[in-house]
Amino acid sequence: MKKTVGFVCAMAVAGMMSAPAYCDVIKVGVIGTMSGPYALFGQNFKYGIEAWVAEHGNKVGDHEIEFVYRDEESPNPAKSKALAQELIVKDKVQYLAGFYFTPDAMAAAPLLEESKTPMVVMNAATSAIVEKSPYIVRTSFTMFQNTVPAAKVAKARGAKKVAIAVSDYGPGVDAETAFKKTFEADGGTIAEAIRMPLSTTDFGPIMQRIKDSGADMIFTFLPSGPPTLGFVKAYIDNGLKAAGVALISTGDVVTEPDLPNIGDSGIGILSTYHYSVSHDSAENKAFIADLIKAGDKPGDITMTAVAAYDGARLIYAMVEATGGQRDPDKAIAAVKGMAWVSPRGPVSIDPETRHITQNVYLREVAKQDGKFFNKELQTFASQPDWGLRK
Amino acid sequence: MTGQHTSVEPRLGPPAAVRQLAVPVIVIGLLGAAGYLVFPEDLAFLTRLISITLLVLSLDLVVGYCGVATLGHAAIFGVAAYAVGNACIAGLADPLLLLAVGGLSGLVMGLVSGAIVTRFHGLPQLVLSIAIGQLVGALSNKLSSLTGGSDGLSGITPGRIFGVFGFDMFSRTGYLFSLAVLIVVFIVLTRLVASPFGLLCRGIRDNNLRARMIGAAVYPRLIAMYGVSGVVAGIGGALMAINTGVVGLDSVGFERSAEALVMLVLGGAGSLWGALFGAIVFQLFEHVVSAANPYHWLTLVGLLLVAIVLFAPQGLGPAVASRWRRLRRAGARP
Repeated sequence: MKKTVGFVCAMAVAGMMSAPAYCDVIKVGVIGTMSGPYALFGQNFKYGIEAWVAEHGNKVGDHEIEFVYRDEESPNPAKSKALAQELIVKDKVQYLAGFYFTPDAMAAAPLLEESKTPMVVMNAATSAIVEKSPYIVRTSFTMFQNTVPAAKVAKARGAKKVAIAVSDYGPGVDAETAFKKTFEADGGTIAEAIRMPLSTTDFGPIMQRIKDSGADMIFTFLPSGPPTLGFVKAYIDNGLKAAGVALISTGDVVTEPDLPNIGDSGIGILSTYHYSVSHDSAENKAFIADLIKAGDKPGDITMTAVAAYDGARLIYAMVEATGGQRDPDKAIAAVKGMAWVSPRGPVSIDPETRHITQNVYLREVAKQDGKFFNKELQTFASQPDWGLRK
Repeated sequence: MTGQHTSVEPRLGPPAAVRQLAVPVIVIGLLGAAGYLVFPEDLAFLTRLISITLLVLSLDLVVGYCGVATLGHAAIFGVAAYAVGNACIAGLADPLLLLAVGGLSGLVMGLVSGAIVTRFHGLPQLVLSIAIGQLVGALSNKLSSLTGGSDGLSGITPGRIFGVFGFDMFSRTGYLFSLAVLIVVFIVLTRLVASPFGLLCRGIRDNNLRARMIGAAVYPRLIAMYGVSGVVAGIGGALMAINTGVVGLDSVGFERSAEALVMLVLGGAGSLWGALFGAIVFQLFEHVVSAANPYHWLTLVGLLLVAIVLFAPQGLGPAVASRWRRLRRAGARP
């Protein structure tokens, strides 16, 4: 028995010592939703990264960058942690990236300091994630970041009483809090705040409650998918649109792949978001062309592609700053305050929060040449994460 | 099944107790050591595998040994995980104490849900178990101050085991700790299912009416077994919380319950070894396939299930056992 213990210990020590000192291929582990109902967003991680690699090559100096993909098909922190650990210990990745769901990102955070691995969050949108480790940078958005401008728009458009209807889970509650705080601080009133169970399919009763509350505007957040369609349909069928009650939401409700399903009835819906596929800039046009070359379908492009594209930019910058060595402090220091023009507009990494500061756009669903798109009406420049800036 | 077992029992003679102890220690110990040596870099996965295996064992106690149909067993697992997470965040750092917290909260949850579920039979029972699972799931989402809601409960950092072995990113401590817990639980359960209490539970499963006729108090027995099962699920949940550091809504979800039942059926319900092998085979297969092809692995898992239902409808455990018996019989012949 004693011998086996000794043997096991020896193996453990040998295992620790055999970590490679220097390696010319730098691996990046990407954990994303590659299968299941959210596969579209994980695939967009891949397309975004491939678009970056197609533009800038797969080498930084002498170092070849290799992306390794793993699947987190649902929010499952234990699985996510196991995947992250496997990527770090077995595949020897120097960087972690991706993460669609908040709990999955949270589960990987405790590994970063011990393994000296920087992590680039490409979607998970709860503010607190970046506080879980000094080695986390985020290139996506937060609910607060996108919702605060929505409340400003509501005020500017003369809304006095707003009804809030959000899905009853983390991001929904965040959206409700952000909107309520901002709108009430500006002197508005919240007529009604409704939390709808995620599985709600009949929104008729909710529309009735909103009608009864006498609200002149509705703010909503639902995760994209079939429910958003039902919500918008109920909003129109119950005569709220005809009665002049405006609808404003975050862009999650009107993502581009969903617009054809919502159809003509969606025209005129307002939303605030950090990226529209139709954003008019040279960078975005080139980006979309690259995505399509990488294999993305024009109708399937989502915000996760641009987050991944910018995330890959950060990883390349970190590799360059560290000369390919595992030095997370140097790597993170290099991207703090980094500013560039992304396909979504000018962005920078807030040196304090390590979250991306970006423009948030007010958009309106419009139709041109038979195609639906989000038409940008107004720009809120350089929005930080309002959830962390208290 | 019952008759077969009782006929085996006396033949084992006095060393039976020793064998009951030694076989699980040797087999699981060897499997565990093999896992440690062959996959030293996959220990986080193997650690998670052990937590889920405990859930499957726990499910086997009620489904396999008592014939209770349930699709809400993850509720017990998840509540225990949340309890452990909260205890740890509140300052209780000792992993052994946290394990006890998991076991206790599992016991309470097991007794409560057992008292409700075993009142009924057949479909109503199944529906009720689903309802309990959904109720716990909805509450976990609502009570976000206790559970973190859909963000998950994070910040669980357990201390060192015996004040010496810390949890690190290689999961060495976590793995060996979980393995030791699995072996102990397995030995206890092996004794339990062979005890008069365990045999009576099987009797109730095989013929409820006859069990009543010979004077057995059916309902209390079922609740008791549900309580034991709750402890085992609770320990599984505790290990999950301790090793992952985050507890998400998935740990109380319907999918977790359903997946555990699939593993149990795969391995063969009504046998602890079947539950053990079902859990190991299913998760290993899933792990390998999803790493090899992150896009279409679910299809391959589906194919595996279809193949097993077609070729080994009793589950892997009984299929292997009968093959083994046939081989031995063939070998024993001159």
